[in-house]
Amino acid sequence: MRRLLSIAAVTAFSVVAVHAPSGSLAAQQTPETEYEVLSPWADVDPIPLRGLSPRLDTLDGKKIGLFANFKRAAKPITDEVERRLKQKYPTIQTSLFHSTLPNVTETETINKERFAAWAKDMDAVVAAVGD
Amino acid sequence: MLLANRGFVNDAHSASSGKGMPGVRVLGTSIACESTVAEDIQSGIDAALGDIIAALTRPLTAEEKNPQVQKEPQPKVAFKGTLRRFNEFFYRKGWGDGLPLYPPTEEAVAEMLTGTDLPRDHVVAKLIPRLGKATVEKIAVNAVMAGALPIHMPVLLATVDALADPKTRFDTFEVSTGSWAPFLLINGPVRKEIHINCSSGALSPGNMANSAIGRAVGLIVKNIGGARKGIEDMGTLGNPGKYALVLGENEEESPWQPLHVDLGFKPDDSTVTVFFPNRYTQNVPGQTSPEGLAGSMAGLGIRSLAGLVVIPDHARIFKSAGWTKQQVKDFVVKNAPRAPGGRGGGLKDEDFILVVAGGPGVWIGHHQSAGGFENEFVTRKLQLPKNWDKLVGKYRTLVPTYVKY
Repeated sequence: MRRLLSIAAVTAFSVVAVHAPSGSLAAQQTPETEYEVLSPWADVDPIPLRGLSPRLDTLDGKKIGLFANFKRAAKPITDEVERRLKQKYPTIQTSLFHSTLPNVTETETINKERFAAWAKDMDAVVAAVGD
Repeated sequence: MLLANRGFVNDAHSASSGKGMPGVRVLGTSIACESTVAEDIQSGIDAALGDIIAALTRPLTAEEKNPQVQKEPQPKVAFKGTLRRFNEFFYRKGWGDGLPLYPPTEEAVAEMLTGTDLPRDHVVAKLIPRLGKATVEKIAVNAVMAGALPIHMPVLLATVDALADPKTRFDTFEVSTGSWAPFLLINGPVRKEIHINCSSGALSPGNMANSAIGRAVGLIVKNIGGARKGIEDMGTLGNPGKYALVLGENEEESPWQPLHVDLGFKPDDSTVTVFFPNRYTQNVPGQTSPEGLAGSMAGLGIRSLAGLVVIPDHARIFKSAGWTKQQVKDFVVKNAPRAPGGRGGGLKDEDFILVVAGGPGVWIGHHQSAGGFENEFVTRKLQLPKNWDKLVGKYRTLVPTYVKY
């Protein structure tokens, strides 16, 4: 009888172990059982950080870049920014750069060099994403 | 400086930080997203003009000049406590999906790692937007949390690898307002070995493999990729498919060769094919003749990338009439109306897959990835561990057995 009970106990344990996704919860005894759990949050490699370019003392006579992404509101928004800035600063110059591809960072497109040259030529840039 | 709808300010800050420029000045506006109303844009810019000028002229702070790296403490052990407290802690940290989680103890994770021969520190990919390192261990931790089994690890590892393939356009779809969700199609012998449901109700809850694998992918995207709802994942309405959208091709009941063989894999290979639909519809064909079925598929308005799911009975109708899978696809391409907003040049053969799945019934499934993006289906062969047969045997009987009533 003792041997039969042992076999039954082993069988019952095996069923629990197989049916539980992990041994840890199979070992749960009470609601007060404590679990030491690992973090699911991933590590990242540090990336070099860059500060912002110095701000302008005035917008008078400055060359302001207007960058519009692919979304349909972006260009009308930059158009309106341009209109309002020119009203307020008649000597301001503006230059538009329209994004090359939907949802692709401009520096990863075939126009990355043209974009970099454009940005470098501006005193400041206002970007609109249309969202 | 950047102008964005005020609901996207956090997203913009996260994106600029991810590019190494945490100080970018972001100005939230009242302009509706993708606004087409001139008055809306004018009033929004009118209200923002002073702040736009200030963003360009206000002197930089010390932090804006020289941003400092904020080192995140990354303890391996995140928490110790009861099941309830663990769940509450993870939920508050934003590491969950709203449902109870399974505790990823070292013991449970070690068991999960029996599903792969890769070392636990092996980096499968870096997932956007945070470029989190998807190590085998982190994938296993999230898999445990989702209630997955070690036999699901090969699918998860291959899926993470597929997500990192730029062809999926995961970078856009996982965070975009359109709420695209990762769709996983499983092919090959692994389907039966891990009990993927390929038949009745395959996309409904109730099967551990379909549900837990999909759930694990969602947690991996969130906790490893760092796509958090309302910050990086800007899905406007969201998508229940982000809980789980995992389907196996019903190869046993299909009269045609399965998708992975079409793609050049061997019948004995097991694969996962990934793409991002953001719509799922089910449609009754007008007729069940081959022409009626194919005509109904053509009329679904397929555009961009799509997956058509043909039930076994309909596939047999095609086969009995001598139609090959390719002939069905050719018919759909030829007869599909040119839908607005799709890719240029109309529907092409490579724009959609046709797979056989599901159970008895009359419905045609249609998974649609809206938008004109240059995305593609990405398929990966699963790498099985040496102990695979033993592992499969361990979970062979872990299937639902319903009582009769």
